[in-house]
Amino acid sequence: MLLEGFATALTPVNLLYALVGVTLGTLVGVLPGIGPAMTVALLLPITFTVPPASAFIMFAGIYYGGMYGGSTTSILLNTPGESSSMITALEGNKMAKRGRAAQALATAAIGSFVAGTIATALLVVAAPLVVDFAISFGPEDYFALALLAFTAVSSVLSRSVVRGLASLGLGLVIGLIGIDQQTGQARLTLGVPQLLDGIDVVIVAVGLFAVGEVLYVASRLRHGPPEVIPVGRAFLGHSDWSRSWRPWLRGTALGFPFGALPGGGAEIPTFLSYSIEKRLARGIAREEYGKGAIEGVAGPEAANNASAAGTLVPLLTLGLPTSATAAILLAAFQQYGLQPGPQLFDHNPALVWGMIASLFVGNTMLLVLNLPLAPLWARVLHIPRPYLYSGIALFAALGVYALNSSWVELVILYLLGLLGFAMRRFGLPVAPAVIGLILGPMAEIQLRRALAIGAGDVTVLVRSPIAATLLVVAVLALFTPLIRKAAARRGA
Amino acid sequence: MSSAKDPSGTGREPVAVARADDGGIDHETGAHPRPASETGAGWSWRRPELGLAVLVLALGAFVIVGTADVAAAGSSFGLGPRFFPALVGAAMLLIGSFYVIDVLRGGHGDPEDAEDADSGARADWRTVALVSVIFLAFAGLLDLLGWIIAGALLFFGLSVTLGAPHRLRAGVVAILLSTATYLAFVKGLGVTLPAGLLSGVI
Repeated sequence: MLLEGFATALTPVNLLYALVGVTLGTLVGVLPGIGPAMTVALLLPITFTVPPASAFIMFAGIYYGGMYGGSTTSILLNTPGESSSMITALEGNKMAKRGRAAQALATAAIGSFVAGTIATALLVVAAPLVVDFAISFGPEDYFALALLAFTAVSSVLSRSVVRGLASLGLGLVIGLIGIDQQTGQARLTLGVPQLLDGIDVVIVAVGLFAVGEVLYVASRLRHGPPEVIPVGRAFLGHSDWSRSWRPWLRGTALGFPFGALPGGGAEIPTFLSYSIEKRLARGIAREEYGKGAIEGVAGPEAANNASAAGTLVPLLTLGLPTSATAAILLAAFQQYGLQPGPQLFDHNPALVWGMIASLFVGNTMLLVLNLPLAPLWARVLHIPRPYLYSGIALFAALGVYALNSSWVELVILYLLGLLGFAMRRFGLPVAPAVIGLILGPMAEIQLRRALAIGAGDVTVLVRSPIAATLLVVAVLALFTPLIRKAAARRGA
Repeated sequence: MSSAKDPSGTGREPVAVARADDGGIDHETGAHPRPASETGAGWSWRRPELGLAVLVLALGAFVIVGTADVAAAGSSFGLGPRFFPALVGAAMLLIGSFYVIDVLRGGHGDPEDAEDADSGARADWRTVALVSVIFLAFAGLLDLLGWIIAGALLFFGLSVTLGAPHRLRAGVVAILLSTATYLAFVKGLGVTLPAGLLSGVI
């Protein structure tokens, strides 16, 4: 299967799409203010004419590329944007300040390559196993799975559970707007005809991410040019290699499973990797930890990339997004009339395996793009901020206008941007809203299907052992932070 | 329009926000969790975050009321188009209540750390308002002026508002960028963008 996938991924056209994807991904990863989720969302309207396999090869490249690019920013700029690369900045920026920027970038890039390749191989092994297991899932199991994703993502991504849930709820409400898919009834449209089809995912994602970011930055812009640490070609010395390879492997082992869990994401494994490397540090590493130890860059960066591959397991096999980018990818599948899940592997093997194979190809491209070209990416960081954010606003408007050529949608975009601004301002995570928006309608369909099968009997939702287990875990995920807090209080 | 209403609710009280903002907040940008009770402990009605919390609560009510008149016909066992919204609305009411209580008791989220945003800085509401006006004016004038002119004005206006030092350079970049995107997306990728005033020229 994978070999056929390589046959798809290695055609000249798809190689070109992969190259475009990884380059674009690295660029938006390096650039502050935009990330892979928003980029994929912006590209949705214009890629409609592209065959799905090529589009997903490009999207996957953007996803992986964003991970590489993010580490460059956090090492050279020390103002972490994406939370997943925040940990990298801790040691990476200190290394850069001590003149070891080249080594920090190199261990991040090579570590990302190693982790990405191993984790993609794990994806190849794990995906068919999950598919075999999930083939028997009924609607009540899918509904329970969606609930688990909701509670896990809300309680993990925010320090405050109620704010995570509020974000999730905002997404769910936006997802309700429009015509009910099963009965054709209009809901919450307030008589505005543009709302009958619902608010497009592109508008919500671009509004919350891009316009929200522009407004937030406008409210408290750092003045003066950014302090970028100069860097030459990225390379690793002999001792750096021997200090890096174990953290790479440990980071991969942490990142992949956490990425595959609902709500796992990249934050927890990168943090765990950082503290494990700190605990394991001996000799020179112990002395350097906190002042720029290479282990503290190698481990978390590997964990970060491995978690990206892990995220693809539930996305492709169950249709379950566990991160904002994965949610946007799910929306992309829906745009092509495809539903990720066990059936996708049956009906569209060329697409799925082509996409997975392209991850190996893209990873190799990224290594080549990032090692020798590091100084070039560092130059991108010097873009004057007024131009950068004006450009983000311009492209956001372009992407949304391209949907339906409607100025009303530009106004909706702005209002969603205000919401995104308020969420940033008050510390509400954006990812639960995006996941609620995209997974909410699917959860509704599965719930209604399950209850229809059960002839109105609510116990049908817990009759299957899988669904019952998932619901218990979902409740536990919701209360874990509270229990942890209570335990910490008692301990202190 | 539910989303249309919500943000303006929070944006309408900039004065209160700015004032409350100065109240001894010294956000560390690092990853150190700070005890929530440290700043602004105690009950108070004057918290800007209350607007967002009340919005969540109000949206819950809106969902329930707004779907009450949707015809429930056509679905088996009473699970019509009202069922799931009722669940979501009830959940929002519950979450909103907890959120309001949390804010009133002095709880607060940590403003997001962005690369270019100084989370410790005082909020600059004038810039936010200007950016908003420019963007909305762009939305209203786009069809009339066309992408190249409106886009250039948007870019120029925003970059000057955000502090671009050289106006001439910003103007040149704006025109180049809007023209290049027009040519690339309309001629190259087949995206529909309005030609507007320049419809005979390009």
